[in-house]
Amino acid sequence: MTDTGRSHDAVTIERSFNASADLIWQMWTDPAHFAAWYGPEGATISVAKMDVRVGGTRLVRMEVRTPDGPVQMWFTGEYREVVENERLVYTESMSDENGNVLAPSDLGMPAGHPTTTEVRVELVDVGGRTQMTMTHAGIPADSPGAVGWAMALDKLAAYVTAQGL
Amino acid sequence: MTVAVDDDRLSGTFAALANSTRRAILARLADGAATVNELAEPFALTLPAISKHIKVLERAGLVKRGQHAQYRPCALEAAPLKEVSTWAEQYRPVWEARFDRMDDYLLHLDTATKDRRTR
Repeated sequence: MTDTGRSHDAVTIERSFNASADLIWQMWTDPAHFAAWYGPEGATISVAKMDVRVGGTRLVRMEVRTPDGPVQMWFTGEYREVVENERLVYTESMSDENGNVLAPSDLGMPAGHPTTTEVRVELVDVGGRTQMTMTHAGIPADSPGAVGWAMALDKLAAYVTAQGL
Repeated sequence: MTVAVDDDRLSGTFAALANSTRRAILARLADGAATVNELAEPFALTLPAISKHIKVLERAGLVKRGQHAQYRPCALEAAPLKEVSTWAEQYRPVWEARFDRMDDYLLHLDTATKDRRTR
């Protein structure tokens, strides 16, 4: 696992796809393509808003079938960086159907789950294939600045690692 | 797959960490145990104010106080910090599954395109 220099409260996944960067970009930015793979399994995704430009809004509905009938969940956010075929950064929060942000704890998510998270997608063309790096990071609501938070946690993370925990 | 996490404790850990003074205290303790007086030094805060922060950290299980005499040095308890990292890690299998589906979908698109071409 390559985990050097990364913030403590984030997950990073690297994947290589046998497709052009242009097509992978569409997977994230074209509503029909996005809905086709985003899932999870057994859920139906529909995109209400996908205004892919800096400051643009996204609003995605996830419908999950349960024994008690379908349950809908909404996710909203804002695009922060948009560099076509290279880099896409957006925020994500649970919300109602109008995009009003809801606290994760009110929706039965584990306590400690940040209200807003950030998804960062980076694409690199490697001879027709595409190397994709996705980072999903938390932005703690009470943190005065994500940078200060990350620095403090990084030091603690190094300590935790050194202790072999 | 989800990682089992004690929600109440994780919530307490986050509440304790959501303060820059307390994070600085923990960062200082990562270098080794220290007394309340030593911890107070870098801050423009009274000893009672620092003690209050330490009590919050103690309740969150992030700091342990020694039993020795009046100094009772503070030491870092790192186990709860390990749990803090797990909310993000819970997303790993979710994203891995998504990208597996993206792979399948790309293959499906590719096949569909080739079918159109050969028709």
